[in-house]
Amino acid sequence: MNLTLRTLFICALLAVCLRTAVAADSIPIGFHAPLTGFAAGDGKSALQGAQLAVQQINAAGGIKGRPLELVVEDDQARADQALPLANKMIGRGLRIVISGSYSAPTRAAAGVFQKAKVPYISAYGLHPDITKAGNYVFRVSFTGEVQGKAAAKFIGDNLKRHRVTLITLDNDFGQSLSAGFRDVASRFGLTIVSERTYAMGDRQFGSVVASVKHDDPEILYVSGYFFNGGPLVAQLRAGGVQAPIVGTEGFDTQDFIAIAKDAAEGVMITTSLDRDSQAPAMRHFIDDYQARYKVPANMVAAATDTAVTVAAEGLRRAGSDDTAKIRDAIAGIRDFDVATGRITFNSHGEVLKAAQIQVIRGGAFHHLATIDDPVLLAPPAN
Amino acid sequence: MYYGELLLVGLVWGCTYALMALGLTLVYGLLRILHVAQATVFTLGAYVGVLTATQFGSLTLACIAAALTAGLIGPLIYRFVYQPVLNQPPFVPLVASIGIVIAMEDGFRLIFGPYGKPFDHGATLSASYGVGGLNVSAIQALIVVIALALVVALNVLATRTRVGIAWRATVGDRAMAESFGIDVQWMRYLCFFIASVLAGIAGMLIGLLNGLVEPGMGGVVSYKGLAIIVLGGLGNVQGTLIASLLLGIVESFGGVYLGDYMDRDAIAFLCVIVVLLLRPHGLFGHSR
Repeated sequence: MNLTLRTLFICALLAVCLRTAVAADSIPIGFHAPLTGFAAGDGKSALQGAQLAVQQINAAGGIKGRPLELVVEDDQARADQALPLANKMIGRGLRIVISGSYSAPTRAAAGVFQKAKVPYISAYGLHPDITKAGNYVFRVSFTGEVQGKAAAKFIGDNLKRHRVTLITLDNDFGQSLSAGFRDVASRFGLTIVSERTYAMGDRQFGSVVASVKHDDPEILYVSGYFFNGGPLVAQLRAGGVQAPIVGTEGFDTQDFIAIAKDAAEGVMITTSLDRDSQAPAMRHFIDDYQARYKVPANMVAAATDTAVTVAAEGLRRAGSDDTAKIRDAIAGIRDFDVATGRITFNSHGEVLKAAQIQVIRGGAFHHLATIDDPVLLAPPAN
Repeated sequence: MYYGELLLVGLVWGCTYALMALGLTLVYGLLRILHVAQATVFTLGAYVGVLTATQFGSLTLACIAAALTAGLIGPLIYRFVYQPVLNQPPFVPLVASIGIVIAMEDGFRLIFGPYGKPFDHGATLSASYGVGGLNVSAIQALIVVIALALVVALNVLATRTRVGIAWRATVGDRAMAESFGIDVQWMRYLCFFIASVLAGIAGMLIGLLNGLVEPGMGGVVSYKGLAIIVLGGLGNVQGTLIASLLLGIVESFGGVYLGDYMDRDAIAFLCVIVVLLLRPHGLFGHSR
């Protein structure tokens, strides 16, 4: 008995030493996401996407033989949690950090990382102010404005519908999408008949549905996430609203279809993930994600996968743990193929890439169109 | 017709609020506890409902299962959380209650996953009917009918049965009721049972209405429930019912006309502030 205990103890000690030895040799990458709280669903997808990227990169030999290691923190999608968490990560000496979270915590943390000169990459936080924190802050997704503009062009040019009602989620995400849409609406011959807003916690949209029927638009542009957009779309259809619905990348997950069910059929979204793509980087992500997690890939996971891949590329090109060199290396990335398309950073840490329009048919996302207009989709440069 | 539909939407919201807030006001009336943990019972009802409906394909069975599970948990919360702190100042049970809500929200997340569970209506409930130019969905009709039936049943229980009379006697004067041989402890269990059954059914109905059951779904309802019982006059059952319906209707119209300035939840609290400024004891409360 005593001998068994002693053996166990020695084994445990050895395991700890071994783990420390591996950890010392690995390159840590900071990562925060809402693992608890109302946004925990997206947090789980975000973490899975980041873990997949780390696994893929390590399987291919890591960074010059050194494996990546994710250092994960939970921000609960709250700005007040993000600040201490950012300081904690900086205190631990992390050389690069990724936000797998919403705009509010990402905006809050961006300033802290900028001040400490630690490169910080927002995976899918869309608010324009995130990258305004400074030159150490990058974003691998569209800003909300750019995505809103892509939707306006798609509705006006491709669908040739003109009378639009906006249903806007009242937070950073929804407001910036609708702002971009409104900016260019007249350029594509669109008239905004009405704009209805709803709050993050809303799941019952009776008064929005009644109002949309009253407004009688030709098409709806709807922002939101799967957990409020799903019920919203289902209730619009159940209430007899027939107009086509164009959504955003917040709907880009199988969970949206599971909630809205038949009402999801025909819903179109602007996103960066093309399920029918043959581009190797995108396929590599979509197929590996399905194989590893047994669920279809989604936009949030694709965005964090992209952010980790970009961070790894920065570390590889910098060839050092000097944060200034890592920053410069990321800023110099041009025409780089990742899970969310071919990206090029501008001088403000924003990416230029094509917008994908997907449509839901037969309970799955499919390619419908690509909006590739470098002038319209140019990321903000101020 | 547009206004008719908004009125209908408000009525349905009001009915769900009534089911939620009635339990709160009953518990407050008997024990002077702000039973915020009702939100947890509500969410539990929704999860039991969606899981039973998915497993057995019967909404009736789901409703019974939700009501009974909730009805079991409520008295347990009283026995193990509130009873030990009944002699403490009122904020102690309140803090305990808030603790349950916070712990169980993440408890539900750990047990059932963070993505929420889609609640399938089935073909019958997805139907909608034209009633006098209004588009009424089967779910809306179901919610109004169930809420009405439960309120009537509760009224019959409270006024026409010995148990109900004993309950009201306990609310009125505990010492006097005890001296007449009423078992006060059982009255408390009964009160929590009824409050929780109402919350469990409300949870399931709102899960159906939303098409989704989530770990955090009780949050909004819990604080709005408090707003409603304050509006109605704390412990006042009729006041709570009227305040629920009024708030539902105000939110439905307010969401349209004030939507640019404040969201649906803000409207509820604006109402509370205005009412408390004008009538500090609530719309239907009496000064004590």
